[in-house]
Amino acid sequence: MPEMALEWRFCEMRVFPLVLVLFATAVRADERLEHFEKEVRPLLLERCIKCHGPEKQKGGLRLDSADGWKAGGDSGSPVVPGDPVASRLLSAVSYANRDLKMPPDSKLPEGAIQALNKWVTDGAVDPRTGPAVKKSGNVLTASSHWAFKLPQSTPPPKVKDQSWVRNDIDRYVLAKLEAAGLQPAPEAGADVMSRRLSFDLLGLPKGFTDLESALKSKAFAERWAQHWLDAARFAESSGGGRTLPFKDAWRYRDYVLESIENDVPLDQFIKEQVAGDLLPHRTAAERRRNLTATGFLVLGAHNYEEQDKDLLRMDIVDEQLDTIGKSLLGMTLGCARCHDHKFDPIPIRDYYALAGILRSTKVIRDPKENVAHWIDAPLPMDGDEEAKTLADEKHMAELESKLADAEKGLKKLTPKREPRDGNRRPLALDEVPGIVVDDASAQKVGAWVQSTRYPTYVGEGYLHDQGAEKGALSITYTPTITKAGRYEVRFSYTSTAGRATNMPVTILHADGEADLTVDQSTLPPIDGRFISLGQYRFEANGQAYVLVSNEGTDGVVTADAVTFVPVEQLNELAAADDALVKSNPELARATAEVKKLEQEIKAFEKSMKARPVVMSVAEHEDRGDTRVHIRGSIRNLGASVPRGFIQAAYHEGTPVKMPSDQSGRVQLAEWLVSGRNPLTARVLANRVWMHLFGEGIVRTVDNFGTTGELPTHPELLDHLALYLQQHDWSLKAIVSYIVSSSTYRMSSRAVYDPADPENRLLHSQRRRRLDANALRDTLLLTSGKLDDLYKGPNIQKAIAAKDSNDTGVLNLEYGYVFGDTRRSIYTPAFRNKRMELFDAFDFNDINQSIAKRNVSTVSPQALYMLNSEFVINAARSMATLIPQASMEAQLDFVYREAVGRLPTLEERQLCLDFLSTDPTVDDWALLIQSVFASPDFRFVD
Amino acid sequence: MMNRRHLLRTTACGFGSLAFNAMASSPLADRHGHHFPKAKRVIFLFMAGGVSHVDSFDHKPKLDELDGKMLDFDDARVVAKTGMGAAQRVMKSLWPHQRRGQCGHWASELFPHMGSMVDDLTFIHSMHTEGVAHGPATIFLHTGSTAFVRPSMGAWVTYGLGTENENLPAFVSISPSMGNGGPRNYGTAFLPPVYQGTAMGRSGIPAKDSTIRNVRNELLGRAEQERQFEFISKLNRAQFQRSAAKNGGHDPEVEAVINSYELAWRLQNHAPEAFDIAKESEATKAMYGIGDGLASDNYGRQCLIARRLAEQGVRYIQVNYSDNSNNPAWDQHSNMPKHAEHAAAVDKPVWALVQDLKQRGLLEDTIVWWGGEFGRTPYSQQNGTGRDHNPGGFTVWLAGGGFKSGHSHGQTDEFGHMAVQNKVHMHDLHATILHQLGLDHEKLTFRHAGRDFRLTDVHGHVVHDILA
Repeated sequence: MPEMALEWRFCEMRVFPLVLVLFATAVRADERLEHFEKEVRPLLLERCIKCHGPEKQKGGLRLDSADGWKAGGDSGSPVVPGDPVASRLLSAVSYANRDLKMPPDSKLPEGAIQALNKWVTDGAVDPRTGPAVKKSGNVLTASSHWAFKLPQSTPPPKVKDQSWVRNDIDRYVLAKLEAAGLQPAPEAGADVMSRRLSFDLLGLPKGFTDLESALKSKAFAERWAQHWLDAARFAESSGGGRTLPFKDAWRYRDYVLESIENDVPLDQFIKEQVAGDLLPHRTAAERRRNLTATGFLVLGAHNYEEQDKDLLRMDIVDEQLDTIGKSLLGMTLGCARCHDHKFDPIPIRDYYALAGILRSTKVIRDPKENVAHWIDAPLPMDGDEEAKTLADEKHMAELESKLADAEKGLKKLTPKREPRDGNRRPLALDEVPGIVVDDASAQKVGAWVQSTRYPTYVGEGYLHDQGAEKGALSITYTPTITKAGRYEVRFSYTSTAGRATNMPVTILHADGEADLTVDQSTLPPIDGRFISLGQYRFEANGQAYVLVSNEGTDGVVTADAVTFVPVEQLNELAAADDALVKSNPELARATAEVKKLEQEIKAFEKSMKARPVVMSVAEHEDRGDTRVHIRGSIRNLGASVPRGFIQAAYHEGTPVKMPSDQSGRVQLAEWLVSGRNPLTARVLANRVWMHLFGEGIVRTVDNFGTTGELPTHPELLDHLALYLQQHDWSLKAIVSYIVSSSTYRMSSRAVYDPADPENRLLHSQRRRRLDANALRDTLLLTSGKLDDLYKGPNIQKAIAAKDSNDTGVLNLEYGYVFGDTRRSIYTPAFRNKRMELFDAFDFNDINQSIAKRNVSTVSPQALYMLNSEFVINAARSMATLIPQASMEAQLDFVYREAVGRLPTLEERQLCLDFLSTDPTVDDWALLIQSVFASPDFRFVD
Repeated sequence: MMNRRHLLRTTACGFGSLAFNAMASSPLADRHGHHFPKAKRVIFLFMAGGVSHVDSFDHKPKLDELDGKMLDFDDARVVAKTGMGAAQRVMKSLWPHQRRGQCGHWASELFPHMGSMVDDLTFIHSMHTEGVAHGPATIFLHTGSTAFVRPSMGAWVTYGLGTENENLPAFVSISPSMGNGGPRNYGTAFLPPVYQGTAMGRSGIPAKDSTIRNVRNELLGRAEQERQFEFISKLNRAQFQRSAAKNGGHDPEVEAVINSYELAWRLQNHAPEAFDIAKESEATKAMYGIGDGLASDNYGRQCLIARRLAEQGVRYIQVNYSDNSNNPAWDQHSNMPKHAEHAAAVDKPVWALVQDLKQRGLLEDTIVWWGGEFGRTPYSQQNGTGRDHNPGGFTVWLAGGGFKSGHSHGQTDEFGHMAVQNKVHMHDLHATILHQLGLDHEKLTFRHAGRDFRLTDVHGHVVHDILA
């Protein structure tokens, strides 16, 4: 049959050439269709449609219809008919693109790839009909959302019961209660008010006397600074596997404390944190504040070990946007990194408009560093101090340059140095100081050749590579170290002309790896036998090795022994060296000069006041708009987006144009605190309210988006936002305004009212829980142990370090013992290890901006109260503070101090029963601990 | 003097209905997931640092054939830094491999005991994961994310299923490392703190000296403590009655506090016994390789404790073979033969645990998961005598819990470098383990900061091929 058809076609061909052409196309189309049906359709069905079909549309792409792939996904259409090279489908299935390999679980067989190639080459015939993925275009449809409109001033509503009203806040609250037929709770008693105000304003169980002095107190600054530190995800280490302490983060904490103590307007406070490094300044003090403030942008949890530095750069931008979004705008912006926000009107373009600003901001000091590091910015000092420091720094630079010269001179002399013992003889293993690993006991790879030609080796000889097979030989020295500590690692080799000048060495020590090269063409500086490879920390029986290879070397490589000399032993060796040096006057002079300069530098370093540094940012060399990162990938870039803000929240009258020569952070800061920004003032006012009532007017304090809750009192929220703006953005003014209201002063022990089960209308105050800070501070205060040192660092070991990546402080937190008794705001805020009490009692997750802490009741809290050393010691300590008096009076003292009231009759009886007639201090301690454990200790009415 | 039982009875009478109510709504109450489960609990035997798969269970004859040859490989570390591959020296396995068991799976002499039970195991040879360094890869293994702070897998599982025994912690990590993420690897992040893993000891402390923090009061005798607990209960009740008086006898917040003390008290009285292996027979101890001077003593104790916890209904148990350094135990960048020392420490205990669970009928609903944060390269590192990290292809095995036995899934390339066939990402492994527990990884979500989070983020597929 087919043959006949063929014949027939030929026959027709002759007669109607025109028809032939059409017909031939039709036949080929047939073939192509057949190819699609037989080869391509089943393949797509089996390997692609699961993720790119009706159930899932990964990457926004469907492959189950022609319209599906024609419309394409986030990266555009994967198929260019007739052009397999331009078709992303083919580069994906052939695994040619490292970042886009499809199907991800395993590569298609070669035949299948060829089938797809043929299909595309032949024009990608596809008869399938069906839907494509709709591209979202509803960016501004949700701009009617309440939070994106500017706050409106409304006249306070009229209320029936004028006598209850202390200020306008009460009118907004009472009007709603009256409308619902509810009564406000009566005013709380004096004991309760005093305890409530003490906790709310000072974070302590007592100490409130009057509002004015409370607001002025340092305790107020400590309490309210912590609230901002929570939102700013303040921490003192980077987190991640290798966790770097933020040794200067305390300066940022001090900045926040000072700002709150001095009631710095919150708009200025925010501007300084977002763009302080770019703001004008009149004095050095102002400049210090401005630079320190920008720590806000740097304090995030980052994987500084990330090897892909471009990815790290965007990860940091993302973290900054997340923090700014949550802490200031009440928005979760992070979702828009990969796709248009699912719920809020924030398209991916808005994200990259903002990202362009932060991507133009530099956070990493040097992208070439293996473990990355933030920027440590030096601070200017005041007048004379600055002049003195400048002079000191100049002097230090001179000393250092002198030392460099002197070392050079000494080095010139040293090649003439003979081995210590004068005769060039081999050393036996037991003559060499330290732990010795000779070439004989090291693991060798490749064709090393043994030699004894140059007799300054250790042991039976040394190895060399004959100057050949570069990259094929290696030798690994693995020591047995039984005592943990710091060791100087030394390598012995024999030098002569023609030796490699760049022999690579890797040292694996307890804190990571060090890579360096050794120049074997010069005489080994130590005794003409060894060179120091540096000092490192090693753990007892830990992983350690020194790996030498001949890869990429430019001459003959020799390898002899490696020694690990305990640093304590180095002094003895130096003394022995002296003898040798003394015999050569020239060498002695040079050595003395180096030593003198070293000592001078050390002494000067001690005497001079070091210039403080802070974690800060700078303008990036690579500034400007950025491109959309499709699905968040740094290697799949879409269109460039002009830098800007969130469109849905944008109102006329704020800057729009970004300077081409700057990142745009100044403009961002201005927009954030502009009167034309609908979010920031509301978010801040709501948060203040939350800290005084337990819940915000918008209960989802970090989420003002469409998935957040609506404000219970929208007019009141706007009233407070405007109040804040009109009162110079003063935190103290708005706190004072709120706590002066009758609303704040209501009792929290109202009769349960079914008309307002969740107390959304505020028919009473809310009973609250001591947070982790207040709980710890209260235990310390009542036990007489609270150290009230204000401001300053608290991790002595970290501040002593020159660099956070120093081995002495790296991973400091893992073994850290929390022992100080300062207020909890100063407790080291490590990302990987927190104080136990903080873990148990819902301390903030300091890895991200969260203004509202979780509140839980779990058994580990009970175990902590029952059995922890901290609580037991606090109780014992307080027991010793009980004054000599009758048992009844003593009991009153305990209750007053611990729970701010006298015991009830029943409690009094229970306590007396427990104590029996002649209680010891231990008995009292048990009683006190039990009171600590009771609910009234942990609740604030 | 009141004994414990008497005390519990009286307190139970005092708070009878109250405690009952609180129990029913306890966030740790035992519950079903999304579908019918094949397994009830997980024991994860974490081999920190990365066991070499080509030296253990992923036999590659090609390495013998080409031993010492320089070939181009896409080394993960080099690629992350330079975007390109480089020449590396092929290194053969240091241990001879042979076919074992009925299934004939290849296993090397590195793990003779584990090799003897290949018929009980499902091997996944095509694992791949994120993170080239220990820190990120370890955190990824435990939380499904390298950089962002997410809840650990054990926390997700307890969040999903609660626990069978509220007298013990639901999620226990035995001897966890303080390094490479430390507590984050058994943390809850934003999940409620009740799902936090409880550390028993830490690496570096011998298992026989390990305890849970605050589970006992070292300063008080039992009698004193019972007296104090009774007093606390009475004080709490008095405060409850006072505060509840205005609310028709209700005050759920204070009730919750009281309930937390009851739970704590039960935990305090049960946990020490649960962790104590003294009552185990000598034969059992010997089976686990426990004995003075034996290399396997410490890990044997850890594994035996794990079995005791599994028996008593602990939901998620992690048994760590680790240390506190940046370069953990199995991290043989040099000196591959050192693998043998570690193998001697874990091989018998791991075998014993699986066999013991089996003979007690526990294996069928317990998932045993053995593996590290990544594998090792089939070539030597910088021409040395060790192997570098390899996140692109490695092996884990699973036993029990409704997985096939005597089965292997997926393949790496002929060198054992990259997973190529039926690749299983760490997200997929997470999804699959959750699946066996009756949890749908796409539905096990928690709303936080405006979005729903999952262990598997937006990834993960259940590997159905390995399910029995």
